[in-house]
Amino acid sequence: MAEIGRVRIRIPSSIKPGEIVRARVLVIHPMEIVQRKDGKPVDKNYQFINRVVVTYLDKEIAQFETTQSISENPFFTFAFKATEPGALRVTFLDTHGGKYEGTADIKFS
Amino acid sequence: MHRRMTESGTTRRTILRAMGALGVAGLMAPLGVPRQAGAQGNLANLGPEEPVDVTMKRLFAGRPIKDGSSAVKIDLPLIAENGAVVPISVDVDAPMTPQSYVKAIYIVSDKNRRPLNAKFTLTPAAGQAFVGTNLRLGESTDVRAVVEMSDGTLLQAKREVKVTVGGCGG
Repeated sequence: MAEIGRVRIRIPSSIKPGEIVRARVLVIHPMEIVQRKDGKPVDKNYQFINRVVVTYLDKEIAQFETTQSISENPFFTFAFKATEPGALRVTFLDTHGGKYEGTADIKFS
Repeated sequence: MHRRMTESGTTRRTILRAMGALGVAGLMAPLGVPRQAGAQGNLANLGPEEPVDVTMKRLFAGRPIKDGSSAVKIDLPLIAENGAVVPISVDVDAPMTPQSYVKAIYIVSDKNRRPLNAKFTLTPAAGQAFVGTNLRLGESTDVRAVVEMSDGTLLQAKREVKVTVGGCGG
């Protein structure tokens, strides 16, 4: 659990300007599931990621609202159009106020 | 001399300890307030436990949903041995221009206690309506992807997946 919140972003090694690129992101996170007692859910502040924000060139391009029914160490893929070199930033927010961020530099070759 | 060194050692340790305590307090302070409120539980933060019809009504308020199986492609295994990690990807064959684009993709699994898995909100900058993730599924179920276009049209595609071992614990 020590490395909770580590974000990994994978993008193709060579990107051409204007190309539609698929990025894969992963964050280390427990995504706590609902515990039950006598069939009733235990009321507590479950820790799971409920929002993911993707920005590219400081512009928000996508936002994901996630629930507990996403696996532990959540993994997402998405597409974006690489128009200019710059930073692709993915921010994960969890229900305990945690904020985990990862960036990838988009460069053309 | 020896004594003074010990003394200074103690002092440094005390200072370090004090700093450590301060640091922790400083970190906890901004979190403290919402956490106190959250100590009562945040079951309301979770989606409500409900049958899938209710979820669909809550999300789309009875708007007509067209069959989009030709445009919406769901990639999902036929049999998932482990319900805790079921890879899914949704690819929508639609243009992503500022005039017409895919606004949101909802992933709903019919038999989960809280059917809504995730909502993906996209913008034209995405260039292509494609998302993928890993789902938790409680049992063998239909998984549907509902696509909301920028003009409000709803398209739905469905796939069945057999789950050998459920992944929702409870």
